[in-house]
Amino acid sequence: MIPSDHFVRFYNEVFKALERKGHRHLVAYWQELGRLQTRELAARFRVGGIEECHTYWKRILEEEDCKGELTLTPTYFEFRMRRCPSLAKVLDNDAAPCEFYCDHCMGWVEPVMKAAGLHAVMDMKSRSEPHCVFRVFRDPAPARAYARRARLLSSPYAKSATTATETRRNRA
Amino acid sequence: MRYRETGQLHMDFYRTLNGTIAYLRKKHGLRFLNEALRRMARGVYRSIHEDLRRGDPEQLVEHWTYFFDREGGRYQLQRQDGSIRFTVKQCPAIAYLRSRGLKIDPAFCRQTVVINRALAEGTRFEISTEVLGGGRCVQTVRRVRP
Repeated sequence: MIPSDHFVRFYNEVFKALERKGHRHLVAYWQELGRLQTRELAARFRVGGIEECHTYWKRILEEEDCKGELTLTPTYFEFRMRRCPSLAKVLDNDAAPCEFYCDHCMGWVEPVMKAAGLHAVMDMKSRSEPHCVFRVFRDPAPARAYARRARLLSSPYAKSATTATETRRNRA
Repeated sequence: MRYRETGQLHMDFYRTLNGTIAYLRKKHGLRFLNEALRRMARGVYRSIHEDLRRGDPEQLVEHWTYFFDREGGRYQLQRQDGSIRFTVKQCPAIAYLRSRGLKIDPAFCRQTVVINRALAEGTRFEISTEVLGGGRCVQTVRRVRP
């Protein structure tokens, strides 16, 4: 049995195995995660908007032992992750991290938010340090403006080959 | 022991683990799933494998008992004639999935079978895994080479 404590390290091995087979296989897996999460969450966020996003991630912050701050403004909801327990564990590992590990997060969030009529932007900041800033906007214009300012934008569904190349180039 | 997590458990990862195993099995086949599990054994659990290569199975035993205790699993550990038998009476992963009414993928227990086999490869030990169903199994470590 892989203990629940070690699941993210297995996740990391799965991502690496899919990436070795071809980046499109990794993207297809993120799409599957997105499809499942959309079924679970999209209606809830469509009805509750960014306020419901705040409620949902408040619970995640507590349950998943994240270190970070949540902010709710009239324009957006922000999750400022100071220590991501998932990447922290993948880095505390005798196996190497998948270079696209962080993208799985936006990989499920983006389809959910699209289905909910909201606009998510994730600035990963760094792929080797477990922190990031994630915002969900009500409107697309401020989301685009924030995305332009991002240090390391997560865009898992941008054209796969280009994304892979750009992500490698931007790797921090 | 290389990994010794403490603090809050997030048992819902078993839902994702079950879904991930199902996805890999259906989309990429059992060989691909086995390879991912094998890399888990030889990469993430490198330290356990290296101890086995040196002839020491104790980190593996501690890994089993520590995480079963932490997750409320039920088991019996027996040492006899140089072999170590870990009899699982209630697997915490299976118990969690059942408690949520989730359909358990037919390849779910493959994680234990393949990881045990990969940990033993190239060592003095053989690790057999007998899956009995219903969240029960018997995992046995035997020294097969001096």
